[in-house]
Amino acid sequence: MNETHYRFPPAAAYALNRCLYALKSDDAFRARFLADAKAAMAEHGLDAEAQAALLAADRDALVARGTGAFEYF
Amino acid sequence: MLVGAFACAHTPQLIARPETEDRELVLRVHAAFARVRRRLEMLRPDAIAVVAGDHVEAFFLDAVPALAVYAGADAAGTFGPYEYRFPVHEPLARAVVEQGIERGFDLLYTQHARLDYAFFVPLHFTMPAPEVPIVPLHVNVYLPPQPTPRRCHAWGRALGEILGARPERVVLMASGGMSHYPGTDRYASPDFDWDRRVLDTLRDGRGAELAALTGEELDKAGNVELRTWITVLGAVGAAKAEIYCYEPSWHHGNAVVEWPVEGETGI
Repeated sequence: MNETHYRFPPAAAYALNRCLYALKSDDAFRARFLADAKAAMAEHGLDAEAQAALLAADRDALVARGTGAFEYF
Repeated sequence: MLVGAFACAHTPQLIARPETEDRELVLRVHAAFARVRRRLEMLRPDAIAVVAGDHVEAFFLDAVPALAVYAGADAAGTFGPYEYRFPVHEPLARAVVEQGIERGFDLLYTQHARLDYAFFVPLHFTMPAPEVPIVPLHVNVYLPPQPTPRRCHAWGRALGEILGARPERVVLMASGGMSHYPGTDRYASPDFDWDRRVLDTLRDGRGAELAALTGEELDKAGNVELRTWITVLGAVGAAKAEIYCYEPSWHHGNAVVEWPVEGETGI
């Protein structure tokens, strides 16, 4: 099968996907993220590279790490 | 009994109306929605069964159902400044779950999951007065592997039979489509030619042909959400679609469609 726009999320990306989901769906988490992003990301166990990609809002890096386009709706 | 069947775009910009949008185009789609609302007031449904996808609002990776039924007392969600809550027609929802499972569809049901804007946007524009309860029917469109078009069509056929045997007057409404690529690099390049070919097929009453599409073809055409339409097509058979509008914007093929249901004029 050719590469599709929407892809199966690899298990290794679960923490990052969970964090992105919380950012869009959990007002309290979003407030904590805005107050102290590193501490908020640590709640989800994000490693340094994932944290850097998210802090830089580097969409390509986030997708490369296994997030899906659906996270950005 | 099934008294009506529709498909409506749920493009967020139709309701948010940012300055990026062509105002006249948005108003033309609004006019098509208003026409649906007038039809619903003629058809006098007891409930609207809305078939929609989920933009990873209700169902995250903790549990990813292919097909689900909202069977709580009500269903609620938020979208931007909008907070919405709709009563669920519980007897109908329960009948869909019980009879759907009896027919071999291993449905998930929920009495709590939040309701995605995919359900809200068409209802915002088309809910008749007086308002009627809904039955939200989830189809996974964005989290691979999604149900196949063939499975969606079969589920729609079963839904049509289940609803057709009920005493309530029920309208089926698909939400979503047509071509768009949300969250991807191709957002500004929908496949309008593909959409128009599909609309020709529906106008000819050949909607069953869409059941033969593959998931890869839907993804390529920016039409992963067409699974909701294909579900409704399973219920309407060879009815010829009336296209209320097809309005291609810079990011989205906006369509509003009705399929006549045999014997129902709404009079």
